[in-house]
Amino acid sequence: MLKFIIRRVAWTIPVILLVIFMTFLMMRQIKGNPFQVTERAVNEATQRTLDRKFHLDQPWYIQYAYYVKGVFTANLGPSLVQRDRDVNDVIKDHFPVSLKLGGLAMLWAVLVGIPLGIIAALKQNTKLDYAVMAVVNAGYALPNFLIATVLIYLFAVKWREHTPFPTNGWGGWETWVLPAAALGHAPMTFFARIVRGSMLETLQQDYIRTAKAKGLRWRRVVGLHVLRNSLIPAVTAAAPLLGFLITGSFIVEFVFGIPGIGRYFVNSVTARDYSVTMGITILLSMIIIFANLLVDILYGYLDPRTRDVRT
Amino acid sequence: MSKRFLWAALVGALAVTAIAGSSTAMTGKTDGSNAAQVLKMSIGSEPPSLDPGLATDTTSSNIILNIMDPLVKLGKPPALNAVPAAAASWKIRGAVVTLNLRKSVRWTNGQPVTAKDYVYGWLRTISPELGADYAYQFEGIKGAKEYTACDPKKADCNALRARVGVKAVGKYTLRVTLVSPQPWFIQQISHHSFLPQHKATIDRYGSKWTEPQNIVTNGPFKLASWKHDASITLVKNTKWRNAKSVKLIRVEHQIIVDATTAENAFSAKNIDVQTTGVASVNIPKWKKTRYWKTFKALGTYYYGFNTKNIPDANQRRAMAISIDRSQIVKYITKSGQIPAKGFTPIGIAGGPSILSQSTMPATAQLSKAKAALAKARNPKRSIRLYHNNAPNHVKIATAVQNFWKQLGLDVTIRPMEWKQYLQFLGPPPNADVDVYRLGWIYDFPDAYNGLVLWKCDSGNNNTNWCNRKFDSLIDKATRTPNTAKRIALYKQAENILTGPQGQLPIMPIYYYAFNMLQRENVKGFVENPTGQWDLAKVSIR
Repeated sequence: MLKFIIRRVAWTIPVILLVIFMTFLMMRQIKGNPFQVTERAVNEATQRTLDRKFHLDQPWYIQYAYYVKGVFTANLGPSLVQRDRDVNDVIKDHFPVSLKLGGLAMLWAVLVGIPLGIIAALKQNTKLDYAVMAVVNAGYALPNFLIATVLIYLFAVKWREHTPFPTNGWGGWETWVLPAAALGHAPMTFFARIVRGSMLETLQQDYIRTAKAKGLRWRRVVGLHVLRNSLIPAVTAAAPLLGFLITGSFIVEFVFGIPGIGRYFVNSVTARDYSVTMGITILLSMIIIFANLLVDILYGYLDPRTRDVRT
Repeated sequence: MSKRFLWAALVGALAVTAIAGSSTAMTGKTDGSNAAQVLKMSIGSEPPSLDPGLATDTTSSNIILNIMDPLVKLGKPPALNAVPAAAASWKIRGAVVTLNLRKSVRWTNGQPVTAKDYVYGWLRTISPELGADYAYQFEGIKGAKEYTACDPKKADCNALRARVGVKAVGKYTLRVTLVSPQPWFIQQISHHSFLPQHKATIDRYGSKWTEPQNIVTNGPFKLASWKHDASITLVKNTKWRNAKSVKLIRVEHQIIVDATTAENAFSAKNIDVQTTGVASVNIPKWKKTRYWKTFKALGTYYYGFNTKNIPDANQRRAMAISIDRSQIVKYITKSGQIPAKGFTPIGIAGGPSILSQSTMPATAQLSKAKAALAKARNPKRSIRLYHNNAPNHVKIATAVQNFWKQLGLDVTIRPMEWKQYLQFLGPPPNADVDVYRLGWIYDFPDAYNGLVLWKCDSGNNNTNWCNRKFDSLIDKATRTPNTAKRIALYKQAENILTGPQGQLPIMPIYYYAFNMLQRENVKGFVENPTGQWDLAKVSIR
């Protein structure tokens, strides 16, 4: 197992180099001048000075070398647009916010989605099941910006006298609830459906019938045998989902005015802030790589056959 | 490892994730009552920089100018004359401007602000090392352009630096030598680029000197906190030279990028002033309330012609007068914009006189337009109209497409992403461009700042149009201190653009306006035509 993990970790290095290379290439392909923000033309002398300052006057492979060196020395360089800040500052200030938002959304998804799935499965084909699944399916179809807007309108504007939630911002717990619910909504419905599906499958297994036949209490059958086995797909889906929640919260951050990294990521592309785009891309790829690594390890434990094949 | 342990690990990891990360930012939930002199407002973006040398946008400018004390401020519109601020008085002799600084102006660390602080700040801003976008603001100063363009590897930049026409001739006397008289210079120095900078602080903290724990300023407010992308809090500087006149004790800026979010925050009474903007669909709703405020802006939204592709001025005239500007401002932009008569904004000093012969109509003149088109030699009937992709630009382009259809022109609309678009326009523009959209917001309140765009060698002239007579009029204006005479020159220049016999390399569409939402208990919050607000004059009732 250890060998397997070491191998997987070592593989991340070429993957990251490839990510840097691809991002670098694509950023250059889309063209545009990072130093011209408005229609006001940048005069030649200033443009030359800035190109020199940020090495943009060098051939591409020298620039690429600068980036790679920066990544491995943990110095991602200055922002080309926010001139008082380094990419390291941007990540240090804003990544924890996205991390927390993603984590809370995940918590919401797990704590609400899994019980809903269990209830629906245990009460299959009853009104309760239909009601839960109707809500879940309808919810799955709604985009999170719509959910966010509706939540703000209802809880922070219309009923503001009766709720503690502000319309925007990021601070105490009361600012976390609505964004986490909005972002966690889609994975919550995902968990509910996946848990319901796998529970129904598990309930029909022979060992469940055996357990029932030998006279075990139903509660114990569900708790010990059904639940544990039917949560496996949910567990394996959880890690990449968490990666997705941390990296994909841009819209929710935007609507709630949350100072997360997602906004910086998107803005840096439109602003051609090469170093920020590069820095955040690397960070987010690392998270995705790490999440996938986690899944592979989990698979290895849950299903030893996959581990044997890989190592 | 058992599965149970794995579960515990997963839940634990989640809990750690949830708790990890520092808590940032304030939020705006309050009871809505504002008995104390505390202003809560929204701004539409994180200021890219609070360094007077590096800031280029109005958001940064509005924070900087409230924590700093500019040499002069702009008076009431439309004249927007220079009013003494940190400079008590000034003398202008030809191209030499001598400013006498007030001795009562102090840095927040107690040191006096002297002429040396200005010399240091201005030279830093134009230095080749800093690479400031707004170095061009100083090009009117003798030797500034040469110093900015200096390549340290090839030339002796220190020698060039010594030759720049900014000198401290006494502790409180600043002398500026310009390349020509440039009568607007004294208004121009109200801009944040011309603020003093505290050398010791910048030397000590480098690019981090603008963080609240480091920054040294000299204005009516102090920077108390700056949570990036979340909030900026200013507090009253009780030691400011005119602190008695300042009512607000604290100003809390929430950075809210999304218009709808900012509207919600305003509706929920979390903020008293909303400067982020209002979503287009909601404008009619807000206009009916007493919260809606409109201020005139010095700026023009226009379409430019690629005169290589549409060489006949008759065709350009036909296109320019066949669109209905009043419908565009009434049904599309909807928020206080004014149909443009010419390129120079009507609200600028001398505007009505400069524009007196300009010919852009508010309503469409279709028959005149058809007649003009008939006079055009080989008119181009298939037009490619480029614009950057944003909802209002799309709507306006679609309206224009319909107006021009009535002339028998076949218009293809080509939206582009902003930065690609800017590069595409050159100058010179890509050959595919027939017509393009851009806007211009004035840096200083003199018609020169806009008209200079249309000189042959201007980096903002994307039209391929070049007129020597126009150039000589603009050059002459830089040497004409007499206001009436200068306005007469501008009028001639504007006529070459949009007068009865105008060449129309561009067709102005409307003059910009600023909008915001203000609660009724906020007093004295005014946005001037260059987009600035003076918090020292604001109070809460």
